[in-house]
Parts: sequence; structure tokens; C-alpha cells
Amino acid sequence: MRLLQRIQAPDEEAAAERTWSVVRAAYREREPVLRSRRRARPALLLAAALAVVAGAATSPGRAVIGSLRKAVGVEHAAPELFRLPTGGRLLVNSSSGPWIVKADGSKRHLGDWRDAAWSPHGLYVVASRANELAALDPQGHVRWTLSRPAVRFPSWGGSTADTRIAYLTTSRLHVVAGDGTQDGDAGGMPAAARVAPAWRPGPGLLLAYVTTRGRVKSFDAAGTSAWQSSVLLPHPRSLEWSSDGQRLLVVTRDKLAVLRGGRPLSLRSERVEAATFRPGTHDVTVLRRHGPTSEALVGGRVVFRGTGSFEDLAWSPDGRWLVLTWPTADQWVFVRVTGPRKIVAVSNVTRQFGGGSFPTLAGWCCSAP
Amino acid sequence: MWRPSADARALRAARRGDEEELERLFRAHWPRAYRAAYLVVHDAAAAEDIAQEAFLMVVRTLDRFDRSRPFGPWLHRIVVNRAIDHARARKVRGEVISDAQLDIAAAPDEPPLDEQLLAGLAALDPEQRAVIVLRHLLEYTPGEIAELLELPRGTVNSRLRRGLDSLRERVGEELR
Repeated sequence: MRLLQRIQAPDEEAAAERTWSVVRAAYREREPVLRSRRRARPALLLAAALAVVAGAATSPGRAVIGSLRKAVGVEHAAPELFRLPTGGRLLVNSSSGPWIVKADGSKRHLGDWRDAAWSPHGLYVVASRANELAALDPQGHVRWTLSRPAVRFPSWGGSTADTRIAYLTTSRLHVVAGDGTQDGDAGGMPAAARVAPAWRPGPGLLLAYVTTRGRVKSFDAAGTSAWQSSVLLPHPRSLEWSSDGQRLLVVTRDKLAVLRGGRPLSLRSERVEAATFRPGTHDVTVLRRHGPTSEALVGGRVVFRGTGSFEDLAWSPDGRWLVLTWPTADQWVFVRVTGPRKIVAVSNVTRQFGGGSFPTLAGWCCSAP
Repeated sequence: MWRPSADARALRAARRGDEEELERLFRAHWPRAYRAAYLVVHDAAAAEDIAQEAFLMVVRTLDRFDRSRPFGPWLHRIVVNRAIDHARARKVRGEVISDAQLDIAAAPDEPPLDEQLLAGLAALDPEQRAVIVLRHLLEYTPGEIAELLELPRGTVNSRLRRGLDSLRERVGEELR
């Protein structure tokens, strides 16, 4: 059996380098996360438990808890979304379908679609329903449709001259041209996880998606170059390129990774609700929950904190305003991050988008075409 | 040559924050961990994932690692058990190992690889593959394998015997 000793597994050195980059990143994150949490957690849990018991045990305590519940949300929030605090248009997915909100506050319902996403320059929207993919204009007129089984997570990328839409049917990745022609399975690529693929901004047609095993693959959708594979990132939830196309942000169930060339520049063991790059920078904006409160951080600095859960976030096209969604308060909160901090909040969000479940943000795009 | 005492030193240093020592430990153990996983699952991507998970567990448990235990067997136990689980799950799902997955890339200076041996291993049960890999790649004794896999020694011996008999039918004298 000496033969067994001579066998090398495929690509041993490259596999070692990929793995070492992950192990090293995990090691660098280890100390601040593990040690501080381990020491702090029992004390915090005990303090929280005592506070809840003490609060609930007395009638004044009950009154305080009741008033705190009522106070969730920004106190002086506008009752309606009268206008956006800056330019651009917001795309919103609600249980009644997608909506576009213009800077003057006017809203347009695009129809009975889901998973809407902007085209690269905001000229169109791609959306899906059970077995159909469609391109819509901002007035909701259908430009073309494509019948495919179980369509989900469409994503539109490319330049004004040549665009492509990537989408999933169950776990298969497909790519179709922006005019609805040349649809095809992204041949030979491993099965995709249920996460929207992401097109790299800028020239070319480089597409990143996550496989069911948790590897981020990026490849040229024009089919002229080989694909690249990342380290293993199981349980992925979202994928996004920085605006210069240099870095890729991957959010998983319990990690936040920034990749460059498939390798992690940072890998934090952290459970976040959502994360995105700030436009024009490599600063990562994060929504995270700490016990009963949630906070929004821009480049590590807390810019807003509140009780309950934050869900989504989006940056204004000029990178000055951040909007975060706050289902616990049924509010959206706009935070001006440059210059003097300013907060503008809007209440009754669910009702304004047709009722049902709390709507999700699908991007704050460029000014009206 | 890397020795168990070097493992203990590297672990102590890594616990104190010495990244170089952690890398030394990783480089010393990666080839055998990856190969062991590969020879059990016969899928390079899955083997890489399995070995990667094992090393991430090293990082996660660095502070809690029992210094009296030897590191190599602890790592190999994780790798081989995960590889067995993966191979069993594949078998249940009815996945077939393709010829492409059996291709092995050789470094230019390496001797040619024996595809018959790989095909023979692939035909065995994952449990038989695992004991053969532990015995003949990682060079554990049957008693050590029994401890690693928490099996009776008789079971280890019978899996080894049956597995090797089956391999000999395919590969013949090369196995000696």
C-alpha cells in the first residue's frame, strides 16, 4: 500500500493557499470576538434577566415596559412618505408587488411581480413571478417576458450597450440578454444557492454567484474567460460588489466577508441583518442586532440605534443618506451621514405599500431618466 | 521533520497570537488532512471543504484544546469522520463519481498516479476506505484506528481485511 503515500490530491497547493487564507482570516478575528464575548455574556445575560424580572414584577415596572413598547420608533416621524430627503428613486418590493418611489414622494405600483431589481442605469426594472421573468419600464409597462419554471432572484448588469440578466430557476443559474433573447443555462456552472447573483459594476460582464456549497464563483458571462472560485462561505444570504468592482461583500448566516480576487480581505464571525458597501468607498455599512436593540454602523461607527429589528438598508446614489427599514416600528429611517447628522423618519410604511407584510428595499437608484 | 512536540509548541504559540506558528502547524498538516479526505470522498472540492472545516475548528477551539492530547490524531479524527459522513450522504443521494472527479493532478516531478487504486478505493464502502486511509496513508495502528473511530478493534481489522482483499483483486501485486 505504499502507493497510497504517493498519491497527491488534485490542486493540493492551490487548495492549501485558499484554505490558509480562510484559516488566517478566522484566526485574526478570533481574539476580539471570542474572548470578549465569552467573558461578557454571562454577566449581560444575568443583568438582562434581572432587569426583566424586576421590571415585570411590579406594577410601576409593568407600566414602564408598556411605555417603552409604545415608544419604539422615531417620535417625530412623518405619517406618510411625503418626499425622499435627496434625489434618486427607491425600488421597493411589497406583498402587493414592486413600487417605485420618486424624490417628490410619488409612488407607482408596477404590478403583480416580485424580486424586482433595477437595470444598471435605472432605465428598466426586472422582476419575476412564479414561472415568468419580465422587463418593465418605470411606469410598469411590460417590455418583454420569458416563461421559465420557478424563476427567482433576477439581477441586471452590464453597460448601456450590452446588458444581461442573471436569474435562478430552482438551483440553476441562467443568463439572458437585456432584450430577452439568448436565454441559457450558465452551462456547466455548479448549482446556485438561493441568493441573487451580482454583476460587477463597470465594463465587461463579470457575474458572481454563490454555489449551494457556499463558494462564490465569478465568471465572464460573455464566455471568454475562466471562472474564479472563492473560499468556502456556507449559508450565504447576500452578495454585493463595491461600486469600483474591486471587492465583493458576502453576508452569510454567521459571517461577514469581504473578498478580493476570491480571497478574504476580512472575515468576521458576526451575525448581521444586512450589509452593503457605501457608494464610492470600501466602507461596509452593517445592520446588526444586540439583544433588544439594533444598530446601524457605517465604517464601524454607530449612526443609528433603536429597539427591535432593523431589516434592510440602502444608500442614496450620492452616498450621503442611508435609509434603513425598521419593521418593529413600521418605519423607514433616513440618516444623513455626511455633514451634520440628520434623521428623517416615516411611519405607517406597510399601509403605504399595499398592506400585508413589511416591504423590502431593492435599491435607491439614479435620478429619473 | 515535523514532530508531535512541534505541534504542542505551535499550538501554545498560536494561542498567544503567533500567526506564523499557526501557519507552520497548518502547512505541516494540510497535505495529509486534504489527501485523507480526498481518498475517502473522491471529490476534490468536498475534500477541500472538509479539511478547511477541520482547520477552522482548530482555530475555534484553540483556547480550549486539551494540551495533553496529541494534535495530529485529533485533527485526523475530525477529517476522517466528516469525510465518512459526506461519502455516506452521497451514497444515499445516489451520486455517481465521475471520471473527471477521479482524475488526479500530479506535480511534474511526481511518479505517475495509480488510477486503478483510486478506482478500487472508490468501489469500497466509505467505512472501509476510511480505515485503509488511516492505516496506510496516515499510518495509524489498528488499535489507534479503533480509538479514533470509536470502533471495536475487531471491526477495524475486518474492514481492513475486506477492503484490502477487494483492492488486491483490482490492483494486484502493487498493493504489497
